[in-house]
Amino acid sequence: MDQLEALKKEWQSREQEFPKLSYNDIYPMLLKKSSSIVKWIVIISLCEILFWTLLSLLIPESSNEFYEELGLKSVLKWVNIFNYAVVAFFIYLFYRNYKKIQVTNSIKILMENILRTRRAVHYFVYYNIGMAAALLAGTNLYYYSNQDKLIDLLKSQDIYGAIPAETVVNKFFIYNLIAGVMIIGFLMLFYFLLYGLLLRRLKRNYKELKKIEV
Amino acid sequence: MTKELEHSFVSQLEQNQNIVHKICRLYTNDSDEHNDLFQEITIQLWRAYPKFRGDSKFSTWMYRVALNTAITLYRKSKRKVQTQDFEGVSFKISSEEYDSTIEDQLKLMYDAVKTLGDIDKALVFLYLENKNYKEISSTLGITEVNARVKMNRIKEKLRTVLNP
Repeated sequence: MDQLEALKKEWQSREQEFPKLSYNDIYPMLLKKSSSIVKWIVIISLCEILFWTLLSLLIPESSNEFYEELGLKSVLKWVNIFNYAVVAFFIYLFYRNYKKIQVTNSIKILMENILRTRRAVHYFVYYNIGMAAALLAGTNLYYYSNQDKLIDLLKSQDIYGAIPAETVVNKFFIYNLIAGVMIIGFLMLFYFLLYGLLLRRLKRNYKELKKIEV
Repeated sequence: MTKELEHSFVSQLEQNQNIVHKICRLYTNDSDEHNDLFQEITIQLWRAYPKFRGDSKFSTWMYRVALNTAITLYRKSKRKVQTQDFEGVSFKISSEEYDSTIEDQLKLMYDAVKTLGDIDKALVFLYLENKNYKEISSTLGITEVNARVKMNRIKEKLRTVLNP
């Protein structure tokens, strides 16, 4: 490859062409803030963990009463305890992986560690979406098999006025289903857009490196 | 202590800044991006500096951190579709002893290298910097044999680009 060899020779002899930054040019750069992808991943990941954790805390008191009336309270309490254990585990996993990200690693290891850190948060979000879907399906199944209780409860809350009980129950299930599917779909879309854009280049390069090793 | 550290770091970076400039030129398309990437590499180098033990040369250590930043950590602040060289990046030879054909060929070669993917560029860059395959492979995190194979493929690719 003559041209590449020629470029190599030239490459080493043309150092003088570059801008020459002085000590005083470089020094202020140390004080500036990084805008690296790792910083963004950490910020977004922490927001996600916070978002999902807060979401489970924000269930309104009225719906708790609703569950209590239907006899679901103790089951949901256990679900909550399990949930916190899972959150704690994911925070630990995230922190451990994050600590492994070192810019002095080889390119491949660095990429691996970043992707692994992300994967922990990915699983956390999958877990939450899965849990939300399972809870939705579970509670609705329970309502379905306990329709009498549900009708009494909905009547007592007096939000549906004079509409016949059967229609109310049907509507209740349909609304629940539509709302649930929409929320989960929206979250997934948002999620894939966000990370698709942020990690596209990194994933492509990582694949490239993996390909070399085959 | 911090002052001493800052001083020794900035001095060493000042001496070796060409390495960073060369990477910036390969991975960015205009002077704004060049400066932006230079800034980010400097931050990453400075953060990693306390752990630099001096058991390798400062410049060797720099290659790794700078390439990692350019390839993995750096997020372009604005999107550019074109890969047009900015003034000064174009590969011109000032000395008169070269005729214009060689100059053109080198310019073409440089442009061809710029069209490669991020990983291929890193390989070519280290090759142009006269690094041996051992160093190239450990910087990328692949085996020496694979680095050689890959480099041969890249040469092949460049040849096709230059002689379609």
